[in-house]
Amino acid sequence: MTGGGKDIGGRRGLGSYFRLLGAFGRFSLNRELAFRGNFLMKVLLEVVWLGILLLFFHTIFRNTSRIEGWNEYQYLFFLGCYYALEGLIETLFLENCVEFGELVRTGNLDFFLLKPIDEQFLVSFRHIDWSTAPKVVIGGALMGVGLWELGEPVTAGRIAGFVVALLSGMALAYSFLLILASTAIWMVRNQSLMELWWLFSSLMRYPRDIYEEPWAVMIQKVFTFLLPALLVVSVPAEAMVRVLDSAILAWTVFAGLMMLGVSRWVFRRAIRSYRSASS
Amino acid sequence: MSSVEPPLIASPGFMGSLRKYLRIFRVSLVERLAYRADFLLGTVLRFLPLVTSVLLWSAVYRGSGNDTIEGYTCRQVIAYLLLVHVSRMFSSMPGLASGIARDIREGTVKRYLVQPLDLQAHLLAYRAAHKFAYIVTSALPYGLLFWLMGGYFDWPREPWIWAAWLASLILGFFLGFLMEFVLGLLGFWFLEISSFLYLVNTVSFFLSGHLMPLDLFGGRMAMVLKELPFQYLAYFPATVILGRETPGAVMNGLLVEIAWCLVFLVVGRVALRLGLRRFSAFGG
Amino acid sequence: MSQGSQKGGAGPAIEVSHLCRTYKVAQKKAGLLASLRGLWKGETRTVEAVRDVSFRIDPGEMVAFLGPNGAGKTTTLKMLAGLVYPTSGTARVLGYLPWEREDSFRRQFSLVMGQKNQLWWDLPAADSFELHREIYSLERARFDSTLGELVELFGVDKLTRQPVRELSLGERMKMELIASLLHEPKVLLLDEPTIGLDVVAQGTIQRCLREYNLRKRATIILTSHYMRDVEALCSRVLMIVHGALQYDGQLSGLLDRFGRSKLVRLHFEETVPHGLERFGECKVNGPVAELKLEKSQIAQVLSSVVDLPGLVDLSVQDPPLEDVVAMAFGSGAGKP
Repeated sequence: MTGGGKDIGGRRGLGSYFRLLGAFGRFSLNRELAFRGNFLMKVLLEVVWLGILLLFFHTIFRNTSRIEGWNEYQYLFFLGCYYALEGLIETLFLENCVEFGELVRTGNLDFFLLKPIDEQFLVSFRHIDWSTAPKVVIGGALMGVGLWELGEPVTAGRIAGFVVALLSGMALAYSFLLILASTAIWMVRNQSLMELWWLFSSLMRYPRDIYEEPWAVMIQKVFTFLLPALLVVSVPAEAMVRVLDSAILAWTVFAGLMMLGVSRWVFRRAIRSYRSASS
Repeated sequence: MSSVEPPLIASPGFMGSLRKYLRIFRVSLVERLAYRADFLLGTVLRFLPLVTSVLLWSAVYRGSGNDTIEGYTCRQVIAYLLLVHVSRMFSSMPGLASGIARDIREGTVKRYLVQPLDLQAHLLAYRAAHKFAYIVTSALPYGLLFWLMGGYFDWPREPWIWAAWLASLILGFFLGFLMEFVLGLLGFWFLEISSFLYLVNTVSFFLSGHLMPLDLFGGRMAMVLKELPFQYLAYFPATVILGRETPGAVMNGLLVEIAWCLVFLVVGRVALRLGLRRFSAFGG
Repeated sequence: MSQGSQKGGAGPAIEVSHLCRTYKVAQKKAGLLASLRGLWKGETRTVEAVRDVSFRIDPGEMVAFLGPNGAGKTTTLKMLAGLVYPTSGTARVLGYLPWEREDSFRRQFSLVMGQKNQLWWDLPAADSFELHREIYSLERARFDSTLGELVELFGVDKLTRQPVRELSLGERMKMELIASLLHEPKVLLLDEPTIGLDVVAQGTIQRCLREYNLRKRATIILTSHYMRDVEALCSRVLMIVHGALQYDGQLSGLLDRFGRSKLVRLHFEETVPHGLERFGECKVNGPVAELKLEKSQIAQVLSSVVDLPGLVDLSVQDPPLEDVVAMAFGSGAGKP
């Protein structure tokens, strides 16, 4: 009697989500390539941003040899890690979250709610922004240079710690971004999500050790334990080039999972409000 | 933005136009205040980069073991970073250029052809309102911040410095507006300029001295950066109130800033005229 | 699970009882002071979008929602699609409570909104169809054959490889409809599907919808401003005015009930003689006069106009459906 044929129970496998992700990636690439000029401009933008970061880095280390225990090449690794993570977030989520506000405003979110699929998945992954993907590679290269110059052996334990922390960091960053985007439902004008995210992500831009000053300890506590944004880049970078601390690693993983849950809850609340408010 | 369409009657004469643009100012102000929550969150987040960069520079100075870098003490750098926010409060024009480009793309710019309304003057009045509302509502949090961080400041006693600061801030508003305006008009010639605008914004963040005092780049780099108009958007007002400049240098800086304003005004007027002609030739 | 017994069974396709929906809108007052006050507390106003609406629709029926703008048609459709919660009352679509939005329910219906666009703007429609296949987990073979049928039915063979933004409004709407039919929905909710389209495109879409309805025995509800759509597709209409159901029945019944007047067309040799106004509302266009008359008057008036000098032709017609419906809306508005 039923149309689709294979909707017995209505459950879809994980494989189907991955296939869908692949399709999103493919079609996004097609779309980007249709506007090559804009694509190249966006890539150029990232290169300029990298230039500014490196110039900043260079200027600082012309005047000092250490920042709170991070030497030049450890810091370069941190910078590469930051740049790569920013690239991952921008490639996968940023554009989608910015568009979420637009979907709410125009009411086109309706279409997402009609589809027999998890709407958070659909909203989060719909567009893959390939123009920022090169950042991941460049960030990786910076990390490589940092490691090379440091010349210390890279152990399997450090690599494992780094990967786990990086994934958790991504989960944290994604969660914060999704929560910020969800607020579009309750606030009148939220077009500046891009800017809000830029402001918020400044917490991830420098190592968490700089918050050691007496007046900043409270800030450090809040953004380590309550809204753990300080962990996003610091912990993976530390795991690789500084101390591999299992306690902070465990907390980062835990916090990542927690925040994923919280952000999903907030997102669902947002969808509920959207449905209650529309007519 | 474009929802503000007060019924305007063509009233000739200077007072008439002034009244017209005052009205736009008022309507825009009302609209701005309606967006409270977003505004609140934005204000809170706005201070985050400031906090992080203050912490970073403290760490840099601690690490270097020196008291000064390129003639700046740590306190001065931190004071500078705060003051740059005041500069940017006046000179930043979020969404101005992209708004113009969108109006051109969607054809709403047509109404400046049919209504007795000048695009540039209209937008200036609108922006002035937004800036006014923004500065008034930010006064409290900023006042609190400056009070909290009072230890970093040695406020100058000379009244002329304060006057020059105010002048440089207001000129910064005009220069920021005129520069963004010209950028937005590129929309007449290019279909999609949002990425380009983003690029300019990013570059300007660096060139204007928002990131750090231009002097810290050292040597030739700093010299070149100080020849560009961008420095007036952030760096120049901050150094004036820090009392780092001689009266002659300040006077000179203000005059050059006025000259830049005139340059961008002329470029903007010419571009607007050419652009509108092109727009009507293509039928919109 | 609170499902009824007849999920997908032989019961009605859609059953709605005492459905109500109210919502609050922010009330923004003009003026600087009010705006400042609004910073602390916003004032709201309650709007009753749908009031105590009940009806049932059997599988395979095609039904039109009529009503003036803002009458609650779209809100009702959105409740049936599960997008909006009702304030009270209930509805079952294919045996499901729509607002629970179960996947198995969402696989079986489609909502198309003429003013909105769900295809990827910069990509060919074929790519959006492909995504649709993934989202609905449709089997390749079945998807291909359905798509082939639909493309042929709508006559858009060569257009599916063209970026959507390059298509005309009508072509785009056809693509939207194809996308919404790919998973072979049993219930199709259409909100103004032909808005802004030319007559030819409207005709094609009407034909295709009728065809789909016949082939799949799909239940279709549509709202439209064009009476042509309604006449072509639906024998049954539901009229909603101010959120309340004013009429549920055959389209012809609507005409009987509200179409009390007839239109008498008089064609004269040269010019229309003066004085026709005494019979009733009169419109003159060249040698043709149109008289709008109450049914009861017809016999009497006809007997007196046949003798008018220069009369060439005479006909009696029903007034256009648009006028009848407009009149019905008006009379419905009278009783709250």
